[in-house]
Amino acid sequence: MATTFTAPKLSSPTFQTLCRNLPVFTPLPNPLSSSSRHRHHHHYRLHLQQQRRSLFVVRAESENGSEPLRHYDFDLFTIGAGSGGVRASRFASNFGASVAVCELPFSTISSETTGGVGGTCVLRGCVPKKLMVYASKYSHEFDESNGFGWKYDTEPKHDWSTLMANKNAELHRLTGIYKNILGNAGVTLIEGRGKIVDPHTVDVDGKLYTARHILISVGGRPFIPDIPGSEYAIDSDAALDLPSKPEKVAIVGGGYIALEFAGIFKGLQSEVHLFIRQKKVLRGFDEEIRDFVGEQMSLRGIKFHIEESPQAIVKSADGSLSLKTNKGTIEGFSHIMFATGRRPNTKNLGLESVGVKMNKNGAIEVDEYSRTTVPSIWAVGDVTDRINLTPVALMEGGALAKTLFQNEPTKPDYRAVPSAVFSQPPIGQVGLTEEQAIKEYGDIDVYTANFRPLKATLSGLPDRVLMKLIVCAKTDKVLGLHMCGDDSAEITQGFAVAIKAGLTKADFDATVGIHPTSAEEFVTMRTPTRKIRQGPESEGKTGNEAKAAAGV
Amino acid sequence: MARKMLVDEELTQTNHEEAHFDFDLFVIGAGSGGVRAARFSANFGAKVGICELPFHPISSEVIGGVGGTCVIRGCVPKKILVYGAAFGGELEDARNYGWELNEKLNFNWKKLLHKKTDEIIRLNGIYKRLLSNAGVKLFEGEGKIVGPNEVEVTQLDGTKLSYSAKHILIATGSRAHRPAIPGQELGITSDEALSLEDLPKRAVIFGGGYIAVEFASIWRGLGAEVDLFFRRELPLRGFDDEMRAVVARNLEARGINLHPQTNLTELIKTDNGIKVITDHGEELLAGVVLFATGRLPNSKRLNLEAVGVELDKTGAVKVDEYSRTNIPSIWAVGDVTNRMNLTPVALMEGTCFAKTVFGGESCKPDYSHIPCAVFSIPPLSVVGLSEEQAIEQANSDVLVFTSNFNPMKNTISGRQEKTVMKLVVDAETDKVLGASMCGPDAPEIMQGIAVALKCGATKAQFDSTVGLHPSAAEEFVTMRSVSRRITVSGKPKENL
Repeated sequence: MATTFTAPKLSSPTFQTLCRNLPVFTPLPNPLSSSSRHRHHHHYRLHLQQQRRSLFVVRAESENGSEPLRHYDFDLFTIGAGSGGVRASRFASNFGASVAVCELPFSTISSETTGGVGGTCVLRGCVPKKLMVYASKYSHEFDESNGFGWKYDTEPKHDWSTLMANKNAELHRLTGIYKNILGNAGVTLIEGRGKIVDPHTVDVDGKLYTARHILISVGGRPFIPDIPGSEYAIDSDAALDLPSKPEKVAIVGGGYIALEFAGIFKGLQSEVHLFIRQKKVLRGFDEEIRDFVGEQMSLRGIKFHIEESPQAIVKSADGSLSLKTNKGTIEGFSHIMFATGRRPNTKNLGLESVGVKMNKNGAIEVDEYSRTTVPSIWAVGDVTDRINLTPVALMEGGALAKTLFQNEPTKPDYRAVPSAVFSQPPIGQVGLTEEQAIKEYGDIDVYTANFRPLKATLSGLPDRVLMKLIVCAKTDKVLGLHMCGDDSAEITQGFAVAIKAGLTKADFDATVGIHPTSAEEFVTMRTPTRKIRQGPESEGKTGNEAKAAAGV
Repeated sequence: MARKMLVDEELTQTNHEEAHFDFDLFVIGAGSGGVRAARFSANFGAKVGICELPFHPISSEVIGGVGGTCVIRGCVPKKILVYGAAFGGELEDARNYGWELNEKLNFNWKKLLHKKTDEIIRLNGIYKRLLSNAGVKLFEGEGKIVGPNEVEVTQLDGTKLSYSAKHILIATGSRAHRPAIPGQELGITSDEALSLEDLPKRAVIFGGGYIAVEFASIWRGLGAEVDLFFRRELPLRGFDDEMRAVVARNLEARGINLHPQTNLTELIKTDNGIKVITDHGEELLAGVVLFATGRLPNSKRLNLEAVGVELDKTGAVKVDEYSRTNIPSIWAVGDVTNRMNLTPVALMEGTCFAKTVFGGESCKPDYSHIPCAVFSIPPLSVVGLSEEQAIEQANSDVLVFTSNFNPMKNTISGRQEKTVMKLVVDAETDKVLGASMCGPDAPEIMQGIAVALKCGATKAQFDSTVGLHPSAAEEFVTMRSVSRRITVSGKPKENL
């Protein structure tokens, strides 16, 4: 587990596990445990350096003389120690490269001058978000527990400061662990702001470092549109670290971040208003899932304002905020949060001057191996704006280390990448949406199950679960799997293995269920809910019409 | 709908002869397997009758209920109680997340019990409707076999009905049994445990199987003092040894007193409760003593001897790969055959039976890679081979990947409980032979993994799957380093 290091699920001797991994990648003597590692430290270092030198020479010669033999401070210099940067640096070091990584000082709120080892995922994303989801889910569990015979003499109250203190203690622990991981892997960590000076030189707060390869993995940051009063708005960084409970909060945005925070604040007993530009939340997700999650969230008390765009924020004398939209003004918010997208952190990195090309959103353009337009400069993770997920950044970082330092050119594989939205209820998905599948394959069978889970029959709450399989009519391959309901994320992972392996609906059917679970529904869907055919006879029909026609 | 008969004898029969039977199929027992077989057969066009004992939460020779063990006295009520009990730990965990709860929480057992009974009555009704919607005729009463094609149903009022059927399916399930020790009548079985009037303050459980550990978790979660006695060193014989140890550790950490390698020898009624005596000479007092010492097939009162249906020594009906007994017109599915006693397996057997006999498609149930779960708190779920089985069966080295981690939720709740996951891999073919997990959501997580294993997924395919972050399940696709390699000779060796 410690090998992944994406979440704080630490096996006790993290360090030992790490060390044990080393020999898989390098022929170095194996440091068995932290104590033996320490004892052999000197010897180990020496050996490592010899190893690196020889590696470097080999590489330099293999460059076909196109570049003069040159000494660099490091084989790899990574700017940004988030998921992708840490992964690439550690693996590169394990493969024998000499590696340095620079990162801004720790802060829960990111800026041009603050960040922290661990990056968005650990400090301002996945981890604190999930901890807040855990905290907020309890209010629903209290309601559920009533139906199971549990009673509270006084309604459970939530103490905001306890949660923040415990959450921040955990984040500090994690950033420390990440630093240790880098140190244990032999990566040199430099605190400061990195800036590229030339294709082989990085400036960190005035000090210059040369490197054979430079990796940019500086991630992204929330973006707030420039409307009057936008200075009163908060973004997700701030929302994860509010000093006190927001009494009444407006969330602008319909993406996963907006939905997750709506659930978090609602569960922690705030009044929550969600403003979305479109009719539905979660653009790009399966249409049926979009409808379903919207309904379920409404049932849990979140107020939706659809097709309503913010135009201005006004602060009144009592300190409360009003949100002016295209439809009117709503007053009395303690907080207005914008979850209106994220932008790559590519400003002031010196990219323009060395000729690293960016797209119009500021994302670094890279080839399939994560190489930028400058051959010695590479980029992984959110800064490249491919699929902005931690495990994808890990995949990109791992692939890059192999490409550069293990003579094994590796392309990240973006097929069937599963993802989750930790809304309440949560969503899990892998593969194609129904709409994408129709577009790509034409003829598909759609299996759906929309049911009241066993827990809800006892709790009496209106919770439901939606599950959906999309199957290619011609090949029987399962093209996509979608779920909204309790445990969706956990359930989806195993199915992602099956879908990535290209399994068919018949394979799903051949699997025996685990009873009683929700997940067993995915292997007991016997009759298609609809068959969508794009044959000549149905020409002119849109997917939706075809659906209605076939709807059984 | 035209029916194709697959069984040889019937192919030679004429339509005229077919008409002599009252039913194409008569099913005795309307549990998971029986209902499935009856419905599917009816869907294939067969005329189907089914009989079941009157409904009651506690089963006996003369009471049962449509839905069977799973719905009335097994999976469903058990899971409901597990949900109820899991709140006990959940609520404790809430405090470090900032929730202020009363020091002492009130739990109303009668309310939970009442709602559980309402739910199983509702499900009982749904099952009845499923049958009638499929066109299956339901008889309430006790079924007996009087001849290879003759069934007799004794109704509640004592009147007897007699029907002829081309095929008879025995799907009468099983019942909990009690060990023959003095005072055994003072103890209860899982049937009663699911319907106790009062929550016991102190409970003794005898048994080390999944039922024993599930009830231990239920009662403990609801606040009872629980002592669990079992014969082996670890509970859950047959599961992966490493995972058994994990379960034992978790039960203990949740406050259950484990008494391994201990038998109960006698129960004595006293004014303060039941005095329990063990073979180690220990004595303790309990409000409730639960025997979870196994289940036996319900084959006694079916009159099977008279028609010559063979039973094994445990009383299970012997069947071939198609679920056919030694009498060609009599078949059996589910727990009464004591193959793999799980609801989804009974469903599979029932489906295969219907396909084979009425669907024109010869179909054997496939017992490979059947996943299963133990709803202890936290739960255990497995699919494929245990490490021990893999070592025994593999022709090449076996690689074991384990992950032992603190689930993210515990980082704040402070709960000291590790989640453990394990993949057992064939070193030569790279096939994943077995997967196990003990930790929150394990049964939900394992279902998808089971699809992958069923289809022979390799470790490389697991590795090429991107994780779902942050989840516990992602550990299954991010296990990069081997924990140990066991060579063919069977000698474990640390792989460094």
